[in-house]
Amino acid sequence: MEPILKVENLTKRYAKRNSARTPQEFLALDSVSFAVSAGATLAIVGESGSGKSTLASCIACLEPPTAGNFWFEGRNLAQSAESELRKIRPQIQLIFPDSASALSPRWSILDIAVEPLVLQGKLGRKERNARTFFLLERVGLAADMAERPAAELSGGQRQRLAIARALTLDPKILILDEALSALDCSVQAQIANVLLELQASRGMTFLFITHDLTMAAHLADEIAVMSRGRIVEQGPSTKIVRNPDHDATRQLLAAVPRLPRSPWPAAQP
Amino acid sequence: MTRRRKIVFWLFVLGGLHGIVLCAGFFAPYDPVEQDRINPYLPPMHLHIVDAEKHLHLRPFVYASRLRPGTFDQYVEDIRQTRPLKFFVAGAPYRLFGFLPARLHLFGDGKERIYLLGTDAFGRDQLSRLLFGGQISLFSGLLGAGFTLSIGWCIGAAAGYYGGWRDDMLMRLVELFLALPWLYLLFAVRAFLPLTVNPLKAFFLIIAVIAAVGWARPARLVRGIVLSAKERDFVRAARGFGASSFYILRRHILPETSSVLLTQAAILIPQYVLAEMTLSFLGLGVPEPVPSWGNLLSNLQQYSVLVSYWWMYLPALVMAPFFLGYLGLASALQESSDAYKIEKRSLGSLA
Amino acid sequence: MMRYLLRRLAHAFFLIIGVSVLTFLFTTLAPGNYFDEMRLNPQIAPETLAALRAQYQLDQPLAIRYASWVNSVLHGEIGFSFAYNSPVAPLLLVRAKNTLLLTLTATVVAWAIALPLGVWSAERLGRLPDRVISWSTAVLLVIPDLALALGLLVLALRTGWFPAGGMASVDFKSLSSLNRIRDLARHMTLPVVALVLSTLPILVRHVRAAVADVLHAPFLLAAEGHGIPPRTLLYRYALPAAANPLVSLFGFSIGALLSGSLLIEVVMSWPGLGPFLLEAILARDIYVVIGGVLFSTIFLAAGNFLADVLLYWVDPRIRTESASR
Repeated sequence: MEPILKVENLTKRYAKRNSARTPQEFLALDSVSFAVSAGATLAIVGESGSGKSTLASCIACLEPPTAGNFWFEGRNLAQSAESELRKIRPQIQLIFPDSASALSPRWSILDIAVEPLVLQGKLGRKERNARTFFLLERVGLAADMAERPAAELSGGQRQRLAIARALTLDPKILILDEALSALDCSVQAQIANVLLELQASRGMTFLFITHDLTMAAHLADEIAVMSRGRIVEQGPSTKIVRNPDHDATRQLLAAVPRLPRSPWPAAQP
Repeated sequence: MTRRRKIVFWLFVLGGLHGIVLCAGFFAPYDPVEQDRINPYLPPMHLHIVDAEKHLHLRPFVYASRLRPGTFDQYVEDIRQTRPLKFFVAGAPYRLFGFLPARLHLFGDGKERIYLLGTDAFGRDQLSRLLFGGQISLFSGLLGAGFTLSIGWCIGAAAGYYGGWRDDMLMRLVELFLALPWLYLLFAVRAFLPLTVNPLKAFFLIIAVIAAVGWARPARLVRGIVLSAKERDFVRAARGFGASSFYILRRHILPETSSVLLTQAAILIPQYVLAEMTLSFLGLGVPEPVPSWGNLLSNLQQYSVLVSYWWMYLPALVMAPFFLGYLGLASALQESSDAYKIEKRSLGSLA
Repeated sequence: MMRYLLRRLAHAFFLIIGVSVLTFLFTTLAPGNYFDEMRLNPQIAPETLAALRAQYQLDQPLAIRYASWVNSVLHGEIGFSFAYNSPVAPLLLVRAKNTLLLTLTATVVAWAIALPLGVWSAERLGRLPDRVISWSTAVLLVIPDLALALGLLVLALRTGWFPAGGMASVDFKSLSSLNRIRDLARHMTLPVVALVLSTLPILVRHVRAAVADVLHAPFLLAAEGHGIPPRTLLYRYALPAAANPLVSLFGFSIGALLSGSLLIEVVMSWPGLGPFLLEAILARDIYVVIGGVLFSTIFLAAGNFLADVLLYWVDPRIRTESASR
């Protein structure tokens, strides 16, 4: 089956601007290659600074890669013009790690959620609002909150709002960049379930970016492990978690908190 | 007082002050260019409610002025002639807000003139000239600030949003303009424009000169905000929804810069009123007989006028309450924008 | 050290170049060619006009014209004053000296008052002395410079304590050198006071804000916790940390005082650049105006460079930054 997203040797360099006279380059992505088939979930796991977020921005067409190519539905987006990218972007939606900065603090919940549809300009006002309310309710946000400013929402509510907003566009690929990491466990589980339901009903493709291997294994069919801008290991989730090959993977596994057998010394009466 | 209340309070004060000047025709008893040649440099007439015989009058009145015997430029109150103030009387025709023809004045007296702030060399009513002069001075300040901020915003936003060589080039230009002492620059720009022009042209000339000189500082401020705003996730998200640059600048970046624009306006407007006063005072701005706060002061360059007729000095002080209002507004605005930052920061740390 | 200073020097140089391009463009692109206007002026000899035309090489492309203009400026030929029928540079230099005297004195006096006052106010943030200072600076801020200058002039004329305007008494030439200095000081008092009062509120407020910011910074609280005495804390820790904004304020204050002195010189008839430039504008004596602008930029750039040297001396961050490279 033809993959919906194919990435080949994607490279991104940043010019470090810390000193004006000795320009240094920082390699954020170093020849990254992978492919995802439609309707699947790929988790990209790595410690902070490994280039995950840069990868997300590049695939969402928010930043041009320095070198390499990537194809979305057979179209090479690394070589596309800005005018073309503007039409593609709505189909690849990115959910940001910090929900507070991803939502305009001055806007109401409804204004935020309806913005993508307003920008598309295809639907009338009534249809737009109906669709938005439907999705807000779907992620568990009550319709009577719609007029309130986003700043009043809790972290979990904000992230659900961000997801509902992305879903109004009915994207083919949804990239979740540490979207659940800042939330507490019960909220994480709740949102993860919403996402799984959505995937089942709409056949959406997920790119799940996280530092949390267990979460990745829970949600994804396949995991790619990133370290220092490279993909160091890739394979089915169960294989990666049970039988890691690379040191970076082992370190990530070791970082997963586990309950010790006896959390505190038994009380001796 | 909370910040919001402070802002509302100062806006209210400024609104009142500007309202008086805007309705100059109503508050001024006479036409500002109407001359009364037999009464040059008449000192201000004092309002009384108790007359020389200790009778209480319900209607305030003034005494007519007459020359002190033996002098030719010193006046005393003539207690035989009272001139009662009549309120809401018809008088010299004027145009309210510049277009509505009207004749109604707050006070006046049809036949005998009342000069509450004295007269100038041509016997023109100083109070009327002060009020009408404010229209020129304040509105050149307001319009000048408006133009400056628009130009500064466009240049700053373009530099910050597009970045790269455009940014470098524009910011070098900004540094250049900021490096020049503004009055020298104002002089230089003014020097290349025609010297004698009619008042209306002079008015727009001043505004153009001010805007040409002042855009650099707001441009730099706006650029800084745009630079950080365009990397904010909600702006990136909007790009992800297929938004155009124009949409992002208008819907997301303009609101981010609004508090800086407001604060800058509160700082720039009084500066520009002062710039108009300076230019007109030096004879490079709005020419006589049209009054402006600057050219009302220009005959103070003669020492004899400065020493002998103190009321000619009043236009220099009339700016003070306006300055106070803008100063209060600017500091209230700055306070609130800081609080907004703190609020955002705490929100961010909660998430 | 050298590297940092060279960089700042290059920056100052860039500004002067920029201003020269700007002023040059002004002269050439101004609506209506100046030479056309001059031709109609009977006071200007045709030979002068021809010489000017040669100097400005009107038939050459812009870049070459600019190069030759720069060349003539470097040789001290800024241009020709039609009103005085003489080259601009010597005329300008006499006035510029007087303006510099006024501006430099005012800068020194203003900072000598503003720095201690601002620090003192910041140390007592919110207490009575701070409030008194805040209110009095607000009052000064609200009064326009023009009103201040005119008011001082009235005071001088009414009381006769100070000479009202001018730079020297009529009998200046016959005075002994000590009396000459006294005479000059008496004449300078009013314009300097007017200049100082017009910039003082801004300076005091900024110094206060900068020092207060640092005084409440965590690193200073920590140093206080280590038992460092308050005097040391203020002079060795707080002031160097607050120096950076104050140095840019120093550059700003020179610019503000230069601008302010233009106006105050006119009001107080001080024979500096103010009245000279005003007269030049009214007489359409364009090269005089350009010379004035160039002068002001050079002076301001020099002032900013001085501030950068000062900053290097007081701010440890810059020293370590350039040492590490």
